[in-house]
Amino acid sequence: MVAIDADAVSKRYGTETALDRVDLEVKEGETFGFLGPNGAGKSTFINVLLDFVTPSQGDVEIFGHDCQREGVAARDRIGVLPEGYSVFERLTGRQHIEYAIRSKDADDDPIDVLDRVGIREAADRKATGYSKGMAQRLVLGMALVGQPDLLILDEPSTGLDPNGAAEMRQILREENERGATIFFSSHILEQVEAVCDRVGILQNGELVAVDTIEGLRQSMGGGTKLVITVDGLENGTLETIRGVEGVETAVNGDESSNGDPTIEVTCTNDAKMDVVVELHGAGVDVVNFRTEEASLEDMFIEYTGSRR
Amino acid sequence: MTWEVIARQDWSVTVETRSAKVLLGLLVSVVLLAGYIYPIAAPEPITTARFSSFAMGGLTLTVPFVGMLLSYGAVVDERESGSILLSLSLPHSRRDVVLGKFLSRTGLVTAATAGSMLVAGALVVYPFGELVLGRFLVFLGLTVLFVVVWCGLGLAVSLAAATRRRALVLGFGLVFLFVIIWEAVVDALTIGLNAAGIVDGELPETVQFLVGLEPSLVFERATTGFVLPGESVAGPWYLGEWVALGVLVCWVVGPLGLAFLRFDGSDLS
Repeated sequence: MVAIDADAVSKRYGTETALDRVDLEVKEGETFGFLGPNGAGKSTFINVLLDFVTPSQGDVEIFGHDCQREGVAARDRIGVLPEGYSVFERLTGRQHIEYAIRSKDADDDPIDVLDRVGIREAADRKATGYSKGMAQRLVLGMALVGQPDLLILDEPSTGLDPNGAAEMRQILREENERGATIFFSSHILEQVEAVCDRVGILQNGELVAVDTIEGLRQSMGGGTKLVITVDGLENGTLETIRGVEGVETAVNGDESSNGDPTIEVTCTNDAKMDVVVELHGAGVDVVNFRTEEASLEDMFIEYTGSRR
Repeated sequence: MTWEVIARQDWSVTVETRSAKVLLGLLVSVVLLAGYIYPIAAPEPITTARFSSFAMGGLTLTVPFVGMLLSYGAVVDERESGSILLSLSLPHSRRDVVLGKFLSRTGLVTAATAGSMLVAGALVVYPFGELVLGRFLVFLGLTVLFVVVWCGLGLAVSLAAATRRRALVLGFGLVFLFVIIWEAVVDALTIGLNAAGIVDGELPETVQFLVGLEPSLVFERATTGFVLPGESVAGPWYLGEWVALGVLVCWVVGPLGLAFLRFDGSDLS
């Protein structure tokens, strides 16, 4: 079954295009990372899912329910951490969770939920006094109430310290193992890389890539980069390397710190040793050797042509 | 259908706020004071039916202020802060949220009004007055409807405006127009038309109907027609009490309906 099914969703504000014909299918049970720089349209897409915003064109379904026409049914089995919310005035943390429990007709214990997101000791304080990170934890707690089949989280790690972000990822993993589908947006690549099965990259309202992280690496040319420092470079050495099976590119790199020439090679993972053997066969001494895996960051820049 | 959750939540939070306590206290005091003074100040006979015309002045002044001030922020406050997004992330429709808020806010003002009216009725009856139960209950019902009109207008303002400030301006504009200057405008219109020689004496009945659409005037006409003994509303049928009742209902349904459509179709972030 399909958890989220978007069909050519567009949203325009005046002449601004926030979303441009986004087609997206998130399968049940997967963890999907929605990646893009700030302002790319990630939140707009999530707001369409939640019916905070009506799309100009196209439609989107959650578990087969149209998000605009059958919004309540669409939101019936999901947990949400939206963007741009604020907590309710005059309600304690515990009362927030209780409100979610009553609204979802669930039977969770509020203290268990608060314990899980790590703010149990603040249960009876007014939530307006919480820090941003605590508020994120609280709303994540509200999202977890009732064992939702789908979690939709907009920039969940906002306001969390590295520890908190790690705890958040741990909870997402647990929820995914329980069987929940996870859909979350982020502009922080490491987080997406750490937990996601598949990634979608959004740029200026357009979905420019949807693939597994492995797939994205492959489509970027094997993804492994070798930086080899040699004692000397002869004519034809680069051509020799280019002749090795699996090698995509071989170029002169920057000189190393002690003035030795370097060669930068991109190749498949399997071809690494072949390259070194080939150099040895050609009488070139390898002084130093390191590999760099193409990070999501590289891919991100490749796809979006921009740094964060 | 989860409006009940919203209504409970909103009631328990609103009732705790100081502004609600002050506003509801004001309303209760005005009604009780009317019930206390009426048997002393008014001419015989003292009955709960005739009490209605005595209480009218205080009610038409207080209820609009209290209803408006207690309701104008109901939705727009949460919309401006963003906490409405938490409610609408849960399986609540916008209609559930609005219905819950409407029931909670009108419920609060209605409870205060009805409770104080019952006590005021007792003050009227004891020791010299006469209880005319049926007419008193009809008056109670009309007063509650009047309360609902103004809470509804407040909520309509809350739905139509995108910011709290705009809602406040719009709400106060309505109260100012209807409660404070409407009568003066109608008087000026009468004098002006008389001076111009277009009418002689009173306004034509159709114009009377139009200027009489203002909620307090409709409430008065309905009360006069249904509650006051031995009085009937003079003039054509459309100035009668049944039409007045219908107009009051329209004041509830119309503004709220239109404002809801606007709210339902708008983007929230």
